[in-house]
Amino acid sequence: MITVEEIRVIGEARVLAGLDQGRLDLQRHLLTHGDQPQLTRADYTNLSEAVGLRGRGGAAFPVALKLQDLPARGVEAVVVNGSESEPVSRKDRLLLTQSPHLVLDGAVGLAHALGAPHVLIAVHDPAAALSVREALMERDDGLAVEVRETPGRFVAGEARAVLSALEGGLAVPPGRRVLPTRKGYHRRPTFLSNVETFAQLAVLARLGSRGFSSTGLISEPGTQLLTVDGAVQWPGVIEAPTGVPLDTVLQYAGAEPGPVLLGGYHGRWLEQTDGVTLQRPEVSAGIILALGPATCPLGEVTRVAQWLSSQSAGQCGPCVFGLAALVDDFARLTVGDPQGWHDAHRHLGLVPGRGACAHPDGTARFLTSALEVFDDDVQRHLSGRGCGRPVLGLLGGAR
Amino acid sequence: MNKLEIDWTRCDGHGLCAGLLPDDVLLDEWGFPVLRGREITAGELPDARRAVLACPALALRLNNR
Ligand code: SF4
Ligand code: SF4
Repeated sequence: MITVEEIRVIGEARVLAGLDQGRLDLQRHLLTHGDQPQLTRADYTNLSEAVGLRGRGGAAFPVALKLQDLPARGVEAVVVNGSESEPVSRKDRLLLTQSPHLVLDGAVGLAHALGAPHVLIAVHDPAAALSVREALMERDDGLAVEVRETPGRFVAGEARAVLSALEGGLAVPPGRRVLPTRKGYHRRPTFLSNVETFAQLAVLARLGSRGFSSTGLISEPGTQLLTVDGAVQWPGVIEAPTGVPLDTVLQYAGAEPGPVLLGGYHGRWLEQTDGVTLQRPEVSAGIILALGPATCPLGEVTRVAQWLSSQSAGQCGPCVFGLAALVDDFARLTVGDPQGWHDAHRHLGLVPGRGACAHPDGTARFLTSALEVFDDDVQRHLSGRGCGRPVLGLLGGAR
Repeated sequence: MNKLEIDWTRCDGHGLCAGLLPDDVLLDEWGFPVLRGREITAGELPDARRAVLACPALALRLNNR
């Protein structure tokens, strides 16, 4: 559970505004943020384009392009993807439990502008679901807003898997690549995005593009939510301007020195943090994991690989067999078997692009960058002596 | 532009496609197809269509875009 002490702000608090005093019920929400202005579809498109707003779920797709891809009429639903399936990420749960009205303002405001009759909020965290239901009882939005609980598995958070679950099907991605903007909820045009995207839209609607652009990068102004965890003194969620130096965020969180995983379990390892700034697409869903100096990197990576392999939806052969093989390769590599190293390299070439979703690609990216950044450790393990450090389980993963 | 595509949620690794289109499909160590990814020329289209129809899982597709 996120407590108030785990929220930190670098610079100006926007989507986290007011939370230093606890959860924002409707009255406190209105005192903090004011009313949501009624904007048109063209307003939303222009504003999103002017500030280069990108989805905050990981894929970082430009919001304006998603809006432009929707047909002129017949938009069925606005879907808030709150499944937050990256186990380390906590920013979306934080918004839904502490500032639900801001997210609802963003979703409902956009639904009105698009003429969409439904707003669906997909969550798997019971506390988040309860908070949104409580918030809905305080407001009257004049359209159908529904909270739906969806499974919490990793791949179940993929956009098309969420749509499938909302329609009562299995929470797995379909085999064909369809765009939710064309064939989404019940195969009708749908605007789907991540929780934070809607909170940012609500802020953008209030501030306008100039106000919104008073902080952050020129190319992608505004703020971003980051979840920081691992070898840090103060894990939690940080709101910071886009383009903030990674080192500043690590300092705020009291991180120990060492390699950093940027972008979560589908992300990339960084050996060096100086000079790195945080923006999309690199920062993905905003997850920053500090490894610190005390744990065995290969052991940690293997545990995450085990977890990722267990999360494959079991649909696609190369993903199921490939990820299982990679777990085995990394385990052998860690105990010094050179064949494990060779097999890992071969298998890393065999999984990307060979599944119905990006899970094999993301897993391969994570493991490939681990082999690069931890090459010294790999050599030490292959020499049979290991690195002499225990596996502390700082990254989560298999328990 | 014609290219082969696989619906990975359907393919169960029969490997039939690799036998019918040896120039375009290889099999990995688990028996699942690896596509060469090149364009299917007009002359090769009939063979490619036959392979698509032969796939017992209806997983192999020809995509033209
Ligand atoms: S690629 Fe893997 S995780 Fe994605 S749908 Fe296929 S089996 Fe599931
Ligand atoms: S014939 Fe069909 S099911 Fe068999 S390997 Fe080829 S694509 Fe997969």
